[in-house]
Amino acid sequence: MAEEHLWKFRKPEWLNSVWARNSGVYAAGGLFSLAFYVLLDSAVWSKSALNASDVHVTFVDWLPFIFSSLGMLIINSVEKQRLSADSFSYSGSGVAWKARVVLFLGFAALAGGMAGGVTVFVLKFAVPGVEWPGMTMGVENLVANALVGLSSVVLWVSQNMEDEYAYNLAL
Amino acid sequence: MAAAGLKTIIALSFVLAVGFLLVILSCALWKAYYPLLVVATYVLAPVPNWICSHLANPDDFVESSGAAVLDLGRFCTGFLVVMGFALPIILAHSHIIAVPAMVMSVIGGLLIYGTIISFGMFFQEEQEF
Repeated sequence: MAEEHLWKFRKPEWLNSVWARNSGVYAAGGLFSLAFYVLLDSAVWSKSALNASDVHVTFVDWLPFIFSSLGMLIINSVEKQRLSADSFSYSGSGVAWKARVVLFLGFAALAGGMAGGVTVFVLKFAVPGVEWPGMTMGVENLVANALVGLSSVVLWVSQNMEDEYAYNLAL
Repeated sequence: MAAAGLKTIIALSFVLAVGFLLVILSCALWKAYYPLLVVATYVLAPVPNWICSHLANPDDFVESSGAAVLDLGRFCTGFLVVMGFALPIILAHSHIIAVPAMVMSVIGGLLIYGTIISFGMFFQEEQEF
């Protein structure tokens, strides 16, 4: 890796181990699950008897989460090695370019989902001035989208920390 | 070796029984049978890892698709494990089940999952010999 000569501080040794990589992937799954169930919690709470207000969770509240999950799926489906293909001979007929376009779409969907979460929060909860127990539904929407973003960051980092030699030893 | 294995099996089955007892009690005491979902979650949790490890060919270093399939399995397992925690908390937050039922089902689920995991590790050690 060329970037190791660029920075003064190197990645610590334990970060390259297969153990750290696998636990990163597990943690990403856990974070995504947390995001989904935070949103599900707001939906269940909205339909339960505790919700005294008229505000209910509808499909609109789920839409930002769907977009950010879609973005996460796209981002993590792209082969990372194709991205850093500097030589034209390796990347063939513009594979790196295609990868960049697809990755851009993925990041756009992820950021759009987060922005959509903020939009729903502002338009549906903050501006009409929903009372506080009902406000939880809006806050949970924000938290869920942030957790999806965090989960995709963790998954991205832990997939990039793979190192061929550590890999050979473990498998 | 055989005696230790027998003791481990007895201890594990005891822990599994205690876990099931806690979960079933958390359902039956409050007449709300939603916490039984926790058992299904924790029983299903190792399944994605198991399936994906059979699908992937770990000797294949050239194509990284094998590692991707393994990662998918790990991701799903992490999802299911957190689901086992999150489901009772959601149900308790909306007052569908009582808070003591939530605590009991989470602890019972952890005992069941721990039994499954340690059982798997135990058998893997056996295979190495």
